[in-house]
Order: sequence, then structure tokens, then C-alpha cells
Amino acid sequence: MQYQMNEFLFAMILTELEDAVGKENCSTRAIDKVTHSVDYYWLSRMWADRGCRMPEADIVVCPNDAEEVSKVLKIANYYKLPVTTWGAGGGTQGGAIPVAGGILLDTKRMNKIYEVNTDGMYIECGTGAIYKHIEWAANEVGKATMHYPSSLTCSTVGGFLAHRGIGVVSTKYGKIDDMVLQMEVVLPNGDIINTSPAPKHAAGPDLNQIFIGSEGTLGIITKAQIRIFDQPEERRFRGFLFQDMTGAFKASRELLQKFKPSVMRLYDEAETVSLIKKIVGVERKGAFMNVAYEGAKEMVEVEEKILLDTFKKYGAEDLGSEYGEKWWKEKITFFYPGHMMDIPQCFGTMDTIAPYGKIEEIYWAMKEAIETNFPQAKFIAHFSHWYEWGAMVYDRFIVDGKDVPKDPVEALRLHQAIWTCGVRTALAHGGVVNDHHGVGIKLGRLMKEQYGPAMQVFEGLKKTLDPNGIMNPFKLGL
Amino acid sequence: MIMSEKSKQHVDSCRFCWMCHHICPIGNATGQERNTARARALGISLVNREAIDLSEIMDNIYECCTCGACVHDCVTGWDPVMFTKETRLKAALEDKTPDYIKPLIANCLATGNAYGKTEICDRLAQSVKAHADKKDILLFLGADARFMACEQALKAIKVLEKAGVEFTVLEKEPASGVQLDFLIGAANETKAQMEECAEVLNKYKTVVLYDPNDAKAVKQLYKEYGVEVAANAVTYTSFLADLIKEGKLETKQSGRTVVFQDPYQLSRDLEETEEAREIVKAYAKLDEMLLNRAETVWAGNILMAQYMPEVIKLVAKRRIFNAKSVGANTIVTASVAEYVSLKAVAEEENSEIISIEDLILG
Ligand SMILES: Cc1cc2nc3c(=O)[nH]c(=O)nc-3n(C[C@H](O)[C@H](O)[C@H](O)COP(=O)(O)OP(=O)(O)OC[C@H]3O[C@@H](n4cnc5c(N)ncnc54)[C@H](O)[C@@H]3O)c2cc1C
Ligand code: SF4
Ligand code: SF4
Repeated sequence: MQYQMNEFLFAMILTELEDAVGKENCSTRAIDKVTHSVDYYWLSRMWADRGCRMPEADIVVCPNDAEEVSKVLKIANYYKLPVTTWGAGGGTQGGAIPVAGGILLDTKRMNKIYEVNTDGMYIECGTGAIYKHIEWAANEVGKATMHYPSSLTCSTVGGFLAHRGIGVVSTKYGKIDDMVLQMEVVLPNGDIINTSPAPKHAAGPDLNQIFIGSEGTLGIITKAQIRIFDQPEERRFRGFLFQDMTGAFKASRELLQKFKPSVMRLYDEAETVSLIKKIVGVERKGAFMNVAYEGAKEMVEVEEKILLDTFKKYGAEDLGSEYGEKWWKEKITFFYPGHMMDIPQCFGTMDTIAPYGKIEEIYWAMKEAIETNFPQAKFIAHFSHWYEWGAMVYDRFIVDGKDVPKDPVEALRLHQAIWTCGVRTALAHGGVVNDHHGVGIKLGRLMKEQYGPAMQVFEGLKKTLDPNGIMNPFKLGL
Repeated sequence: MIMSEKSKQHVDSCRFCWMCHHICPIGNATGQERNTARARALGISLVNREAIDLSEIMDNIYECCTCGACVHDCVTGWDPVMFTKETRLKAALEDKTPDYIKPLIANCLATGNAYGKTEICDRLAQSVKAHADKKDILLFLGADARFMACEQALKAIKVLEKAGVEFTVLEKEPASGVQLDFLIGAANETKAQMEECAEVLNKYKTVVLYDPNDAKAVKQLYKEYGVEVAANAVTYTSFLADLIKEGKLETKQSGRTVVFQDPYQLSRDLEETEEAREIVKAYAKLDEMLLNRAETVWAGNILMAQYMPEVIKLVAKRRIFNAKSVGANTIVTASVAEYVSLKAVAEEENSEIISIEDLILG
């Protein structure tokens, strides 16, 4: 039933939500609405920079656990109110922005660490926990989570799960979807479910993987068992300079058939001369690559030998360990204001992934497409997550502030156009809509272009689980 | 709102930056997105762009304890404490200070302390009287100890007596200005309090500052305000550490294992971290919480508990959780404000809170 919200009904709903989560955890204050309307998405930041207010939620709720989430979702379903889940707002795709108003559900009160289990090697926590906090909990018992995205300090466990995030040591330890054992999820109808107690099984499809990457459109993940690892006895770094990226790809593919380093980062020439020169101090032409390998000391010795032998075959110049160590120390520095692109620049990271044989082609095609269609844009990239079969390109466009329209709608148009061009080019050459930042509102329109009729699987899930369409509307193309 | 160019620049950098999201003691305790440096900056930037009214963000501006954890964590050196305090001042000038803050400011102006107190408890009055004579050393107790934690003030005096120190305690202490600085920032009234206080302190050779908040004010903020302190101003902890070194304070191991709660004013602002540890180690076995020294997490205070008591309880509980995570059940404090705040939830959390003075006096 369609209806129009009115003051009376709003007041009624508010009391119900207050009853569900406690009055102090339910807000209609301007500061809470504004704070939850701007995430790390460039468009939301630009909008605010121009002095405009982004779409805001009508009510912000902060539940304490799955039971309270369940109550909120039942109320939302009854009144057919949109519910947008917000972790820490560190997402880059506008996924957490309540574009349709309604209820904004912030997960950060669900930040408890329930158990640090060194037998099963996991931490059970509320998904509102900032990832750094569970890293601290792991460190307290001499372990580590080995999930080190640049947003470790500013994104939640739930956010990383919802966007299928990734950290810098992923090549050895895996992506977030490899990091989780069991999860607790509240379905849109308020039912609380648990996924399988172990992630590897033959008891049907993997329920975890239905919710990981679903961006709050199919349910709210409230608890997760996140894997922890022994701290490596040794972590070593080695920097290399390849003459070009092709050699680096061949060398890396061969290396990955032999062992898995933890960090592998290959910078294109543009990034080698800009970022790397600025932060790491390398001032040479070519493609800089940084590799880290870690674990038991004896293994590290052997791996180092294999690495040096393999890369030598492909003409890589060994730059020693200094650059890599410096990069490791500075890896988060890149993201602070003053080091990072910032408004008034217009920018975006169009990460995509593909098997070897396609990934380099994608890089060149995207570079050409962006630079010819948008001559005002600079295109730089690095390749930072590697598998035996392929790699991810982290390519960025940057438009100087002077070339960005002052009018917010015109600036939005430019941003949209560059994104559409970049992602369509990636898709045309065998890539995907996104590697690890997710889809959000930013790329929803391109999901059908990637999936074609396969999209009906997602749509079917959505219709069944969320028949009223209340969960994070207009995200993920659903 | 008219803001200094410097603050505007910091606001416009922080407003879209998430990097210190994990570090705010208030944000971590409440789980509220608004309790972050970036949210505060975003709010102020929208006020500067006339997209929201100053009065609509002021509650949040007063939810910051100005502990500087974000400033310390920021590799670029942006300073949310600076723009937060400046916004408090602007709000005061525009009469947009929240109603529940106004009485605290009025109290500061009328009585020198935010609590509006004029009398100290009888036992403390007696003890102070015994130290009324002018000596070279002044023990400056501060408003929190005098008016809100009389037992702690008594113990602070007792420890110095035990060491045979000759010292003065003032019957009426001037306000250090630190509470006004917190409430309205760099107003003329704040500076006037500081000048008045400095004048009194300068009558002594050495001033021992019991409260780390006052220590921060006298040793650091006064310089920023251009107020001169000629007296040798020392923190209570560094003074005690010297007494131990000189053999004037008897030490004895208690058999306890404890962790130490670094007051941020000492560890971050004054870079004093080891003196208190030397004292603690003279009486107990010292373990460390994960976030210690300059990384310390603020554990609450008395002033903010006047207007957000439930949040301060959450803050204290979270710090106790940090101690428990490393297996520690006893937390030693060096700040009367943190002592009071932690103590308020200690029983509920099944945890023991003792001050440095408790440790020394046994
Ligand atoms: C400085 C910086 C660096 C970054 N670097 C990396 C990086 O190295 N690797 C990487 O992977 N990402 C990176 N990101 C992106 C960002 O950290 C991730 O997208 C992260 O997943 C966002 O988490 P969040 O808690 O901030 O989520 P939010 O932005 O709040 O939400 C993201 C999406 O997840 C949904 N969601 C949140 N919590 C839940 C839940 N419990 N259940 C269901 N849905 C939920 C929201 O509805 C939204 O759709 C970076 C971001 C920043 C700001
Ligand atoms: S203080 Fe630094 S880390 Fe924190 S929001 Fe500001 S710029 Fe970011
Ligand atoms: S000064 Fe302390 S309380 Fe204020 S925003 Fe920074 S970390 Fe949070």
C-alpha cells in the first residue's frame, strides 16, 4: 500500500523505534542526519563541498545486537520504510548513503568482541567493530588478522564483508571472503539466521557468499567469526624496477605458480614517477614493483631465493629492501589529506580484475578510453592483488580542480561520464564492474551490463528475501 | 560563522577524512558516527557554507573531550581540538551555546570552577589549614580534587607529608583557567583567569601541579595564551618520582600487578610517561595495556559527567575493558578526573581502581 508520511504517523513510528533500540539510540537530530549523509563517495563529498545537503535519513537508529536489528526491520517492513545500513561510512561507492530517506541503521554499537579463540583461530565480534579494533584484540594475544586495507582504521567488519573488501597482504592470506567462518545475519523480515558453522562444506551453496558483497540489500550482518593468524616470524621486502609492465606480469605469474608472497604491488609508469617518487623516493623510469614475503624464517629464505631468481629472468633490477620497508611504513600515509587526492580535484578508483592475458589489455584500453574521451583527466594505476590466475588493477582518474565544474550537477555529470566510460571499457575487455570497493549507488546501473540475464539470480534473491524492497534501495543495481 | 583561516583549513581537510575514526574515546564508547573528528569538521564546514545552523551542531561540539587522540594520530598534523574549541568560542559569542553548558560557564566565571562550589569539605579544610604558611613549594590541588574528590586531595597532601616536604596549600586557589578554556576556548575571560592564576603561582619557587589538566594549562596553554609563569611548575608525578629517587619516599612492593592509565595531558601534551611508571614500579608489578603512553585512551572526567554522565560511564567501561584484555584487574590512575570516572563503574565492572597516592600510602 502506498501512503504519504505525515507528522502523526512519523511520531508513532519514532516511538516504536525508540522502544526497539532505546531513546538515546534513536535520533532525528540534524547533526546525525548530516553525518550519515556523506560517506567516502566523491559525489557526496563534492555535494557537501558546494554547500548542498545530501539526501538524509529521517531517523537514525543504532541497535545493540541482532535482536534489536530484528525489531527495527520488522517495524520498517510493516511501515514499508527504506533501511540503509551504515558501518563507518568509509565506503567509496555511496553504498551507505540513505538516498531514499527512511531509516539509517548504524551498526557501530554492535562492536563487541565476544571471543578471541586461539584454538579455532578466530575472533567473534559484532560487525560494527572497526577492523583495527579486532586487529588490536588479535595483537593482544600475539596474533594478527592479516586484513590490512588502507581503511583499516575507518571501516567496520560489516562494511568490509558487505563490499567484499581486500587488504594489502591479500595474495598470501586472502580477501575478506576468505577471512570469515560463521556469520549471523538478520534477514529483511527480521528473522535472525546463522550461516554454516564452517565455511568449507558440501551442505549446499555457501550461505556466507550470498551475504558477503550484498551491500545491505539482502540483510544485515550482525556478527562474524573473523580468522586470525600467527604473526610471521619474518616479513621481508624487496623492490624491483621492471623495464615495462609486460615483463612484470610474466614474472609475477611465474612466481605465483611457485609460492605466494604477501604483498605484490606493481605501479605503472605514471604512478612510479608520481606517487612512488613522492613517498618512497624512487626517481627512475619503468614499472616499480614491491614484493613482501613472510612466514617461518626458513621458508622466507627459500622464497627470497625463488623470487630473486624468477624476477632476474625477466630483467628486473633488484632495488633491495629499503624501498619496500619504507612503503610498508608509509602505506597508510598515502590516504591522509595532503597526500591523497582531495576536493577540488575530481577523482575515482575504478578497480577491476581479470585473468592474466586480459588484465594488461584492460589497463591500456581504460587508459586510452579515459585519456582520449576526457583529456582533462590523468590516469594512473597499480596492480595490488594477485592470484595464480590473474590480478587486480587499481586504476585512478584525476581531474584537476580548475577543470571541475563549480555547478554541483555539472560536476556530477562529469564524474558519472568518466566512470561509465572507464567501467564499460573494463567490461568490454573482460573485466568486472568492481574488484573490492563494491557497487553502491555509483555503479548499480552497470551491473546488468556485466551480468546480463545472470542478474535475475540476484533479483530473485532480492524479491524473495526482501519483497517490500526496503533494504538499501537503489544500491547494487537492485 | 567567522572562523580563523587556520581553523577553516583544518576543518576543510578533516571533513572528508576517516583515518582517525578508530581512535576517539567518545566515538568508540558511544558508537555514534557524529563522535568523530571528520563528523565534527563536516558539521562546521556546512555551517561555514550556511547549509546548517551553528546551533544544530553545538551538542556534538561539546561531545569532544579535547583529548587530542585524533591530533596525535594524524600524520598530516591537522588539529580537530583547535577548531572544536574555536567553534565553542564562536557559539558563545553568537549566544548559541547549549543551555546545559551555559551554567557551567557561568559557574566558572562566578566561582572559578564549573561546579559552582565555594566550600571544600571540612577534613580537607583542616588539612589545608595545616599548610597555610608560606613555603617555597606550593601544592596546587585544582578544582576537581578540591571540590569533587576531597579524599584524593587529602591523600595528595598526605603523600607529600610522608616524604617530609615542606609546602603550602592555598585556602583559596585561583582558577587555572583550564575549565574555561575547555568550555569557551580562547576568550578574554579565559586569559584573565590564567593571568590571575599565574600571578599567584609566581609567588612560589616551585609549584607542584596535582591535576594533570592544570599541569597542561600552566606548562603548555599559558605559553599559547602569552601568560608568563616564572615559578618552576612541575607535575605531581614528576615531583614524586624525584622524591623516590632521592630516597625521601619509602618504597615497598605490594605484590600487586597493575596497569597504569596515562592521563593524556601528561603523556601526549607534556610528553611525560616514565615518571609515573617509576613510581608505580616502586610499589607494584607493572603491566601495560595495548594503548599506553602517547597512545593512551582517555577514561573520562568530572566536568563532562555534569552534562553527559551516561557517556562518561561508557568511556570508563571501555577503558576497563582494555585493561581486562591484558588480564589486568587493577588500574592505577594519575589524574583525579579519571580516578573518579573509572571508580564510578569499577564495582559494576568488577575491577579495582587506585590512585598513585593509594599505592604509595598502602
Ligand atoms: C582511506 C580509505 C582507504 C580505503 N582502502 C581500502 C582498501 O584498501 N581495501 C578495501 O577493500 N576498501 C578500501 N576502502 C573502502 C572502504 O574501506 C570499504 O569499502 C569498506 O568496506 C567500507 O566499510 P564501512 O564500514 O565504512 O562501510 P560503509 O561505507 O558504512 O558501508 C558500505 C556498504 O556496506 C553496507 N553495510 C555496512 N555494514 C553492513 C552490515 N553489517 N551488514 C550489511 N551491510 C552492511 C552498507 O549498507 C553499504 O552498502 C577505503 C576507504 C577509505 C576511506
Ligand atoms: S585529524 Fe587527521 S586523521 Fe583525523 S580526520 Fe582530521 S585529517 Fe583525518
Ligand atoms: S579530541 Fe579526543 S574526543 Fe575530540 S574528536 Fe579527537 S579523539 Fe575524539
